Amino acid sequence: MEEESMAQEFFILDVLLWTSLYLIVTLSLNIEYGYAGIPNFGRALAVLMGAIAAGGIVNRILIAIFGVEGNIIEASGGLKSVVNPMIAQNPLFGLAILALSLVIAALIGAITGALFILPSAKLKQDYLAITLLAISEVIFMVSNYNTAIIGGYYGVSVPDILAWLPGEQRFLAFTVISLFVAILVYFFVERLLTSPYGRLLKAMRENEDVVEAFGKNIMTIRIKTVAIGSAVAATAGALYSFYSVNVIATTFNRVEWTFFPFLMLLLGGMGNNRGVVLGVFSFVLAKLFLTVYKFEIKTLLHLPFEATWLEYILFGIAMLLILYYRPEGILREKPVMTPPVKQALREREKPQS
Amino acid sequence: MEVPKGGITLIIGPNGSGKTTLINVVTGFLKADAGRIIFEGRDITNKAPHDRFKLGIVRTFQTPHPLKKLTVLENLLIADAGYGERVSEALTGKWLKREEDLVDKAFNILNFLGIDHLWSDWAMNLSGGQLRLLEVGRALMCDAKLIIMDEPIAGVAPALAHSILRKLKDLAKEGISFMIVEHRLDIILDYVDRVYVMANGRIVAEGKGREILNNPEVIEVYLGAQG
Repeated sequence: MEEESMAQEFFILDVLLWTSLYLIVTLSLNIEYGYAGIPNFGRALAVLMGAIAAGGIVNRILIAIFGVEGNIIEASGGLKSVVNPMIAQNPLFGLAILALSLVIAALIGAITGALFILPSAKLKQDYLAITLLAISEVIFMVSNYNTAIIGGYYGVSVPDILAWLPGEQRFLAFTVISLFVAILVYFFVERLLTSPYGRLLKAMRENEDVVEAFGKNIMTIRIKTVAIGSAVAATAGALYSFYSVNVIATTFNRVEWTFFPFLMLLLGGMGNNRGVVLGVFSFVLAKLFLTVYKFEIKTLLHLPFEATWLEYILFGIAMLLILYYRPEGILREKPVMTPPVKQALREREKPQS
Repeated sequence: MEVPKGGITLIIGPNGSGKTTLINVVTGFLKADAGRIIFEGRDITNKAPHDRFKLGIVRTFQTPHPLKKLTVLENLLIADAGYGERVSEALTGKWLKREEDLVDKAFNILNFLGIDHLWSDWAMNLSGGQLRLLEVGRALMCDAKLIIMDEPIAGVAPALAHSILRKLKDLAKEGISFMIVEHRLDIILDYVDRVYVMANGRIVAEGKGREILNNPEVIEVYLGAQG
C-alpha cells in the first residue's frame, strides 16, 4: 500500500517536473514558431547551450575557484566531492550556483540564438528549417565527440545544488524549483507577447513583405526573437543538468528537445500560451503513462517490436493526426488582447440603447 | 517622372507596362537597374524598404496582402511607424498610451471606410473588396508623406470608391502626396492632378486629368491596347 502511494507520488512529481521543463522549451518555441513563424528545427541546440552553461562554464568557474586538478571530466568529479559538502552546510550556495547557471545559460543561449538565425537573411521556411536543424546537429556532434567541452560521450558531473536535502526530498524540491522557474517563464512570455511586439511577430509570420513595407526591420526582429527564445530554452537545459547531476551531450538530442516540443506546440495550439500549457501537460502525461506501462501495452497488443520504440511510433502518428485533423491544436489562436482592444470589445458588445 | 508634394499622381498603362515594377523600385522591394530615386532632396535609390518607410513612404499592394490570422483592427495597428519593435517597451508596458491612441485612430479609419463592423473579424474572412479597403486603411494609419497605392479601388463599389478618393484628395490638400496606379479611369481621373502613361517600361506621355485621354500616344498604347 505504501509502495503504491509512493509510486503515485513519484508519478505525479515526474509529470510536474517534465511539464515544467518542457513548458519552458515549448514556450520558447511558441515565441519563435507559434508567433513569429520561424521554423526553428534546431531548438535542441539552445537547450544544449544551457547544459554547456552548467556543465562547461559554471563547472570551470568553480574548478578554477577551488583549484581542482585534472581535465574537465576528472575535475568535475573532484569538484562534486568538494562542493557538495559545502552546499550541504549552506543551501544558499547551491541556489546561488543554480541562479548563476540560469543567468549564464540565458546569456549564451541568447548569443547563440542571435548568431544561429543569421542564415535567415538568405533562406526562407523549409530551407531555413533544414539549415537550422543541420547547424544544431553539427554542434551536437561536436559536443558529443569533443571531450573538452562537456566531456563528450563520457559527460561531466555538476554539483548537487540540493545536497542539503535527504535523497527522498530532493525530487520534490527540484520539482518545486522547476515549476517556479516555469511559472516565471510563462508570465515573462505572456507579458512579452500580449503586447504590440507579440502582434508584430504574428504579422511577420503572416507576411514579411507587409511588415517590411510598414517600416519594420525583419532581420532585427528575427534576431531579437530567436535570441529571446533561445535564452528561455537554454534555462531548461541548465535546470535539467542540475536535476540529473550530470551533463552528457547525447541527452540533448533532436527527438527529445526539438521534435517533442514541436509536437506539444502543435497539440496545444500555436500562438496561444494557454494552449501550450495544455499541450505540454497532455503530452507529458501520455509520455510517462507510456513509459510506465509500455511493456504491458506491448504484451496486450502483441506488438512485434521492442517496447522502447512504442512512444516514438505513437508520437509520430500523433503528430500526423494533429496536422491532418486539427492543425490549430486544442486551443485556437486568439487576437492579441491588449487593454485598449479589450475595452473596444466591451464597448462594442454593449447592447445598443 | 515627378510626384509633386500634396498632389495625386496617377500612373496608367496597359498590363505589363511596368507600373507595379515602378512601385516596387520606388518602395525598395526591387533594386533599380538604372536611374535614381530622389525623395525630398535625398537619394534613396539604395535604401531598404523599411528605411524608405521611415522617411515617409508607404505602399499598398496590387494583390491585397492581408495579415490573414490577425483581426481587421490588428492589421491596422501594425502599420504605425516604429510601433511594437522594442522588447523593452513590451515588457515595461510603455506602449499602453500609444495603443489607446492608435486603437481610436484605427476605428476612425475603419469607420470612414465603412468596415468598422468587421474590426474583430480575421482578415482571412474578408471579401475581395473589403481586403482592398483594408489595404487603404493600413496606408492611412501611418501618417506617411508619400502614399503609393497599387489599384486601391479595384473591386470597390463606385460610391465607396468616390468616397475613398475624396478622402485621399482631402489628405492631399493637407500635404500628403499620392502616387496611384489604377485602371478605373472613369472614376479616378476627376481626382488626380497629374497623369503619367507607361508602356513597355517607359513613360510615353504625361498630362493633367481627363486631358490625357485626348493624347494620341495614350490612345495608341493604352486605350488602343485596351480596345
